[in-house]
Amino acid sequence: MAVGAAATLALTACSSSTDTPEGDGTSAGAVEAADITLWLAGGDTNDDLRAYLVDTFAAENPGSTLTIEEQPWGDLDAKLTTALPDANNTPDVVEVGNTQSPTYTNVGAFLDISDMYDELGGDDLLQSFVAAGEVDGLNYTLPYYFGSRYMFVRKDVWAEAGLEMPTTLDEFNSSVKAIAAANPRGIDNFSGFFLGGQDWRNGISWIFANGGDLATKDGDEWVSTLSDPNSITGLTQLQEIYESASNAPADAKDASPWLYLNDTDEAMDADGAVTASTSLAAATIMAPGWAHWSIGDLVTGEDGKPAREWNDATFGVLVLPGVDGEPAPVFAGGSNIGISAKSEHPELAKALLRIIFSDEYQQLLGGAGLGPANQTMVSSLGDDQFAQALIASASNSKLTPAAPGWASVESSKVLEEFFSKISTGGDVTALAQEYDEKITPMLNGNAG
Amino acid sequence: MPALTRAAPPPPPQTRRRRRRTVVPYALVAGAVAILVLAMGYPLGWQVVTSLKEFGLEQQFGQPAEFVGLRNYAALATDGYLWTVVARSVAFCLVNAGLTLAVGIGIALLMNAVGRFPRLVLQISMLLAWAMPVVAAMTVWRWLFDWRRGVVNWLLDAAGLHGFSGHNWLERPASFFLVATIIVVWMSVPFVAFSVYAGLTQVSEEVLEAAQLDGASARQQLTGIILPMIRPVLSIVLLLQLIWDLRVFAQIKMLQDAGSTPSETNLLGTYIYQLGTGSSDFGMSSAVSIFVLVLTVALSSFYIAALLREEET
Repeated sequence: MAVGAAATLALTACSSSTDTPEGDGTSAGAVEAADITLWLAGGDTNDDLRAYLVDTFAAENPGSTLTIEEQPWGDLDAKLTTALPDANNTPDVVEVGNTQSPTYTNVGAFLDISDMYDELGGDDLLQSFVAAGEVDGLNYTLPYYFGSRYMFVRKDVWAEAGLEMPTTLDEFNSSVKAIAAANPRGIDNFSGFFLGGQDWRNGISWIFANGGDLATKDGDEWVSTLSDPNSITGLTQLQEIYESASNAPADAKDASPWLYLNDTDEAMDADGAVTASTSLAAATIMAPGWAHWSIGDLVTGEDGKPAREWNDATFGVLVLPGVDGEPAPVFAGGSNIGISAKSEHPELAKALLRIIFSDEYQQLLGGAGLGPANQTMVSSLGDDQFAQALIASASNSKLTPAAPGWASVESSKVLEEFFSKISTGGDVTALAQEYDEKITPMLNGNAG
Repeated sequence: MPALTRAAPPPPPQTRRRRRRTVVPYALVAGAVAILVLAMGYPLGWQVVTSLKEFGLEQQFGQPAEFVGLRNYAALATDGYLWTVVARSVAFCLVNAGLTLAVGIGIALLMNAVGRFPRLVLQISMLLAWAMPVVAAMTVWRWLFDWRRGVVNWLLDAAGLHGFSGHNWLERPASFFLVATIIVVWMSVPFVAFSVYAGLTQVSEEVLEAAQLDGASARQQLTGIILPMIRPVLSIVLLLQLIWDLRVFAQIKMLQDAGSTPSETNLLGTYIYQLGTGSSDFGMSSAVSIFVLVLTVALSSFYIAALLREEET
């Protein structure tokens, strides 16, 4: 934090002492040296990637430095709302969740970077994420990396229950119920598929897979479509899974379900303090690709700390199959990145974007297991089973609606509520209509 | 004991002495008032103004904010959900303040009655409970009530209540608030106990002894002598408890993050936070804040009224 404060002081100091000439983008050499700040959300961008950005930025922009500050996902909305409008405190470049992007681009929080679009990768960039950062055909945020969700399974437990890997959505749905009923190891509170009652981020895959959607744009207005017949089909399947395959609590979200896939594990809080120990309680979980680092047998890593070693005999990955056997359209995880409209150093911020979208950095992203924004670099993910599952599950993945009020829908936890009520056996059609009425005004930015 | 032979001191003569008008008391109060105005005045003013505006995320990013008069308040008054939250908050506040006071007075009386060593143990354990930071305490409580690995479920299960194996305490609002009440009361009892204990040390032994000789039972001594004598302490402690329990935020927010359905467990504090930080509807959330301010003043009016009465006598 001290570093951040010092950086802010430096910013205000230099902006008050001299009138910074507005960069006209003609020559990078005329840009005044400064310290710029990059906000990264969560810990997905690992230390090696961060070091690369800082070092490369310093080398390419003599006299200027890059400060990286990590913001926890949970606080990001509040921090963006307070910091971005304030020229003295705004970070220059910001990572936002792909679902948060529309809310901020619609109110003008980000700089128009349409003129850089082609230079940064153009049509090679992941188009669904480009759309999430677009307003009236102008680009405000661009994709940073994509993740995707797939299934992690306990092969041994599936085999003990006498089941093959499913190839269609219906087979998946019936298999996880059969495993829960068989419970081959006689475990208390055992789930064939562990799905938290409030876990809408994984749950909406069933809506998407049956051809439904969360919302559509009707003229100028967004309309929530939970009660669309296709959405209802998906939600009904989901309710059956909740009732007969999952023993997760009705208020569990999507946090660390892999704890229940490992033989033994420890739950930790944000500071890494152990808060509980867990044991095998699920045959199947759904999680973003990077979860595979947390799954496996407990071994002692090179640094002497406990680590997880993947074991193909026990564990497997499975891309959720759709109704036709192709990968189901799951919810795409990932982030967008943009320049704050109030940034006092837009030219340096653009220089940073050029580094981020360089082939070299995109390949580094892939090497770290994050889907690179530039689709020509996807091969850098490698070709192990995790990379294959990531690419396959992302091939058909979808985003949440690009509605201006989407961030309020998420922060009001209304979807958590809706899914929790579905999971406890409420009437699907009645609930879907009730929550459509609640969500439609929020989507258009009239909260309350 | 010469207490019984000594007559009670005569009441102070009710003569109206003319006070010399000096500026000293005003000067002494001025510092506190200045700090209050500086620290609270600006945010309060901003809040009042914002509550009269249409102020959302667009306005936060520089769009002009339109004055809409009392429209936010009108929307609040006709919003059934707000009244649900208000009723919930007031009920939660009264139950918690009442319980805290009852338990706190009980522990204070206990401290007064036991010997030095047990009293020391009581005081140390209460200090520890009181000194524990909210976030750390909440982590422990969440852990205790964890659905799968919690000690509470394990104990109940071990005691033969097998229905509690894997029971989720935060899922239903009723048991959510039971857990919240246990936590809030646990955290605020020490303050009440210490304050009341301090008050009890001022109750003179002689009076109680006289009452005992007159044949007053322990209950009569408590209700007839002890409680009336420490009434000033009780009323200020009750007032503070009411104000704190009406604005309770951190405990509820952290329990909501651990589980539960926010719309069914929101109290005023978390509702304001959700409107402001969550939905970026700053106009509405300011209006609710002003409403809570008025509610707090209404709740504490009994104390202000009592103060004014004392001034007049």
